[in-house]
Amino acid sequence: MNTWRVLWIKEFRESWRSFKLLWIPLLFLFLGVSDPLVNYFMEDILNAVGNMPEGFQMIMPELHARDLLLATTEQFQMMGIIVLIAVFVGTISRERSGGTATLIYVRPVSAASIFLSKWMGASLVALLSALIGYIGSIYYTSVLYGEITFSTALTIIATYSVWLLLVMSLTVALSAAFTTAVAASLAIILIPIGGILDSLLGGYWHVTPWKLARYGVLVTDGTIESSYYWTTLLLVIGITLLCLVLGIWATDRNRRLAAV
Amino acid sequence: MSLLEVNALTKKFGSRRSVDEVSFTLQPNTSTALIGPNGAGKTTTMSMIAGLLQASSGSVRLQGSKDIRRHIGFLPQYPKFYSWLTALEYVEMVARLSGLSAQEASKRSKQVLEYVGLGSDMKRLTSTFSGGMKQRLGIAQAIVHDPKLLLLDEPVSALDPLGRSEVMTLLKQLQQQTTILYSTHILHDAEKMTDQVLFMKEGKLVEQGSLADIQLRYADPQYLVQFAHDNDAERFAASRKQLVRREVNSVYLAIDAELPTMQALMSSLLATGYDIVKLERVSASLDQIFMKVAGANEHMARVVD
Repeated sequence: MNTWRVLWIKEFRESWRSFKLLWIPLLFLFLGVSDPLVNYFMEDILNAVGNMPEGFQMIMPELHARDLLLATTEQFQMMGIIVLIAVFVGTISRERSGGTATLIYVRPVSAASIFLSKWMGASLVALLSALIGYIGSIYYTSVLYGEITFSTALTIIATYSVWLLLVMSLTVALSAAFTTAVAASLAIILIPIGGILDSLLGGYWHVTPWKLARYGVLVTDGTIESSYYWTTLLLVIGITLLCLVLGIWATDRNRRLAAV
Repeated sequence: MSLLEVNALTKKFGSRRSVDEVSFTLQPNTSTALIGPNGAGKTTTMSMIAGLLQASSGSVRLQGSKDIRRHIGFLPQYPKFYSWLTALEYVEMVARLSGLSAQEASKRSKQVLEYVGLGSDMKRLTSTFSGGMKQRLGIAQAIVHDPKLLLLDEPVSALDPLGRSEVMTLLKQLQQQTTILYSTHILHDAEKMTDQVLFMKEGKLVEQGSLADIQLRYADPQYLVQFAHDNDAERFAASRKQLVRREVNSVYLAIDAELPTMQALMSSLLATGYDIVKLERVSASLDQIFMKVAGANEHMARVVD
């Protein structure tokens, strides 16, 4: 069965020709480098802007490399993820309502091919963006705040990639199951808003999918117990697989919604 | 052996039957027009045959087999293409989805694009295509995998006269090599390239047969006599019991025992000495038959109720 590869190439061409493979990684790069740079040069920035009252004293918190990596992760979690959701939440539903899906669905193509090619297309953009964003962040952090080992960098990026695979599988599955508007609402509620709720109330428990991104940073210097990290990681992988199965099922069920 | 068998195909949306027990067969290498007013269920029927819609009941079989997606080419009324792909990339992609190898797909795609007259435009993005070019691209993608059955939903309705004649010419060529089922409400086109017509109305198949058969059945031949002056027509009409219809300057007469031939009519006209402009034996055009089939059954339904 080769059809998913044919469809995946189509997805790749779209990402490439609509510049998604350029502007989204650039956005992540910007988000990634902003925290280490802004924090490091905060005093200079304030001095340059001026207008500080005479005798004003400011105590800059002592920041460590880990704090900057956490800040970068937070940036990705808010801005980055919302952009990824917004870009990919219509990936299946919009093709159905726009009519381009019709000419694909009349051919002998399985729902799995359709869904998985979409998921991989979206994941490619997401993973590339996170990789470039983190490389930027880690580079400036290590230059300005002290060394970051290769294994730390690898752990952080790999963990965040696993989380992004979940985000994209959920987003694309929602797109398969609902119209674009409904899918977008649900994705925003489940991922960024869920993340905010979890960080407000989450002190009472240790394992939820939203914690994985932070844990990816914290596990590198032993701030959290590694058993929490591994349980969370497995949970996220489990939910991702579930989303894939449900997404394929929804793609098949909603074939009839393709506009003729 | 027939190529396609459609048996009691039904689609219900809620309690409404959009398609109601439609049955017909298609013979290989024939072309069939599915005709009917808007909302008659033509597109729904096509979608079910194409496998886009699940039928509520009934079956569609292509040479006895049920999964027919590999063997059909489908062109919807408004085909939508990915705007970021070139025509060639698009056709290659769908050819591969239908199971052609990369090499075959590339070769066949170029062939069919040349065939539909997009040879010099195949490297252009589909978003730059005009309506007529898109329709021809639609035909190219439908025939690239050499389907046994071509399903075309209103292939020419959205086109201007030039585009329409281009597409009709293409379809007439295709007719030689494959079986075509297409829906239309432009009967003039159906008249040019159809072996069989299926009339649909309110989800039901109300009339079917060869075009010649149906034309004969509904032809209702009449004489048309056109006069130079309307008052001549008036007086002539008053004197004839065969009068069917009167228009300005013209009279339509039924053909009966008294006026069995044109000669008989002519000799009776000669006696009058009126100034005659035109004399013609007319039979119902497909358009008139269309109106009749739609109207007659409405009347029937009322009688039955």
